[in-house]
Amino acid sequence: MYRYDEFDKAFVTARIAEFSDQINRRLVGEITEEEFMPLRLRNGVYLQLHAYMLRVAIPYGTLSSQQLRKLAYIARCYDRGYGHFTTRQNIQFNWPRLVDIPEILKELAEVEMHAIQTSGNCIRNITSDHFAGAAADEFADPRPYAEILRQWSSLHPEFSYLPRKFKIAVVGAQTDRAAIQLHDIGLWLKRNSSGKLGFTFYIGGGQGRTPMVAKLLHDFVLEEDLLSYTTAIIRIYNLYGRRDNKYKARIKILIHETGLQKLREEIEKEFAVLKASELKLHQSDIDAINTYFRAPDLTDCSEWHYNLKQLRLNDSAFGDWVNQNVTAHKHPDYAIVTISLKSTGGVPGDATSDQMDTIANLAEQYSKNELRVSYHQNLVLPHVALGDLKTIYDTLLATGLASANIGLISDVIACPGLDYCTLANARSISVAQQISTRFSSYERQMEIGAIKLNISGCINACGHHHIGNIGILGVEKKGTELYQLTLGGSAGNNCAIGEVTGRGFTADEIVDAVEVVINTYLSLRQSSEESFINTYRRIGIELFRQALYGTTRKIS
Amino acid sequence: MARQEKSLKSVMQMEKMQLNKNTKLWGAGGFRENRYVRSNCLENVDSNWVILPLTRWLQIVEKIDGEILRKTGIFAEAGEDIKPLLPFLDVVSVIALNFPKFSDGRSYSTAMQLKQTYCYRGELRAVGDVLIDQVSNMLRCGFDTLEVKHQLTQIRLKEYSKEIFPGFYQPGARLIRTSSQNRIWRSTAVR
Ligand code: SF4
Repeated sequence: MYRYDEFDKAFVTARIAEFSDQINRRLVGEITEEEFMPLRLRNGVYLQLHAYMLRVAIPYGTLSSQQLRKLAYIARCYDRGYGHFTTRQNIQFNWPRLVDIPEILKELAEVEMHAIQTSGNCIRNITSDHFAGAAADEFADPRPYAEILRQWSSLHPEFSYLPRKFKIAVVGAQTDRAAIQLHDIGLWLKRNSSGKLGFTFYIGGGQGRTPMVAKLLHDFVLEEDLLSYTTAIIRIYNLYGRRDNKYKARIKILIHETGLQKLREEIEKEFAVLKASELKLHQSDIDAINTYFRAPDLTDCSEWHYNLKQLRLNDSAFGDWVNQNVTAHKHPDYAIVTISLKSTGGVPGDATSDQMDTIANLAEQYSKNELRVSYHQNLVLPHVALGDLKTIYDTLLATGLASANIGLISDVIACPGLDYCTLANARSISVAQQISTRFSSYERQMEIGAIKLNISGCINACGHHHIGNIGILGVEKKGTELYQLTLGGSAGNNCAIGEVTGRGFTADEIVDAVEVVINTYLSLRQSSEESFINTYRRIGIELFRQALYGTTRKIS
Repeated sequence: MARQEKSLKSVMQMEKMQLNKNTKLWGAGGFRENRYVRSNCLENVDSNWVILPLTRWLQIVEKIDGEILRKTGIFAEAGEDIKPLLPFLDVVSVIALNFPKFSDGRSYSTAMQLKQTYCYRGELRAVGDVLIDQVSNMLRCGFDTLEVKHQLTQIRLKEYSKEIFPGFYQPGARLIRTSSQNRIWRSTAVR
């Protein structure tokens, strides 16, 4: 993975000095809260319901064991012993004190981490495929490009005060595991017919109040033009994006109001002048970054396959876990392990300091020191020998981290909601807890099969409810918390925004409503092979509506 | 009635002067004299050096002689279309780009276009809500001078000697790439 050089270190240190100074100026009252707000935001500091919240960047979701240990340490010393992994592959600490933040940032800098641009109207942390560099279906590793983008976007002089936040995601495999079409810019790394690497550019995706699937802007932009083309897009957005209404300020609205074709012309004009500028990536630039992301040396061992088969036969719970949580690796004798942070009745994405330490140790011993954070709020060990799976499973089992539920209904994605967030209308965590409890039986979950359930506490959609096969959105009506249900959303290759079923449900009704949806699906699917989303796509929303609202008596 | 209007006008005049007095012009080497006066027209201004709104300037550019033109600058609102100006860039001595609020970043892009794309060589000036925390961004986007109202920013700029960052990950004004090994641009002044 990427390692800081002297310059990167000095850069982050200077940033901490600058921000510490800004915090001091705020504490002594030299600057107003209004002036301080954008400064603290672009350093990841929010003011939440009960306390400040610090969001730390995990660039494209890649972590080392040492870094995870540091996060565990920070949670233990400066917080209440846990951290929350977010749908943006970041981690949030919910209870730090403002005066401690410079100290925390120094701790982070020791392991080459920071909180730069994890918020504010600037280019945010670049996200990527959590299986990058390991997945069997990968064309090319997207992380070097994510790193190039991360560096280029850091303290960008022109793009630090955009109309609104700006999110970029990049993938390089057959499967889009980073939901790129829900980002302001989605990049798909590909090879053209003459074998050259380049990117398909999508723009204008996003969730929130006006969810939109990104549109295809350009089929293939050469890798050397990555930064020039991106600059052209963001410059046009910076100049013409709306600033009169923050709900209409994202690039998706500009595209909607201006038209893709007109915008494309403007972008192409900018690009024409930028193409030959210093932004051009030379092969040596790309090679220099690539060396940091060389695949680890993995030894072959075909015996492991046989042993694994035996172990799975002897221990069915282990077998279930392998089925659900283990994914094919590029190397046939290795696997990718997803560690579920979705225990029954737990808080999705939360990990205690002890759990983080355990996982860091596992990564050190069994995964070449590497870890990933998925936007599904789980952790990943990317390079595990098949022969080590059982040992890892046993350790996870002992720490309460062996939930075999990746991609199942209890693998709920949820934002912090009303328990922490100032913007929330309703609780998300308690609903997630009830759902994972209601559907805790492994047999039941297997019967339901692959499904994505997402919960957001308000229309900002941090829990990505729009793209959940089942989405739950907290709304407020006449002072009470209500939950709106959406169906048919989907991320990835067949990206789609879900449709609202109808009137919302109370906190007491919502889990029953989900169960009604599930039972309807089970009774209407053609076979157990037909997943929830495929059934939904075949039959549409009507029968679900009938089941939900024709049976309101049963629900209440 | 008329008298009232007149006194109101003079109050506004006073306030404007006050504002002008408190506003300082800063650039490489520290604070400097601001020769220019902002006005809507060339008449009744007690200086030969005037900054006119872009639309106004475009109306008169063909009509005034070279000597006056040389002393006449341009003020552009954030996001204002600067394309009509392009044929004249060689004769413009100063362009002031507005930051109506520090959080409105449009003028950064206009600055980049003027300096980088269209190779404008005259003085580029940031005016409006200019605060210390955005100074680095402004300089890197090609601004030469800053009109500063904010007291604390004035104090901080007095002590300002160089960037606190060792360099940057992007090209920018007065920055050069120092090595082919990494994509880092450092200040030409410090090296
Ligand atoms: S979706 Fe709303 S409630 Fe949830 S974290 Fe985002 S802003 Fe807060």
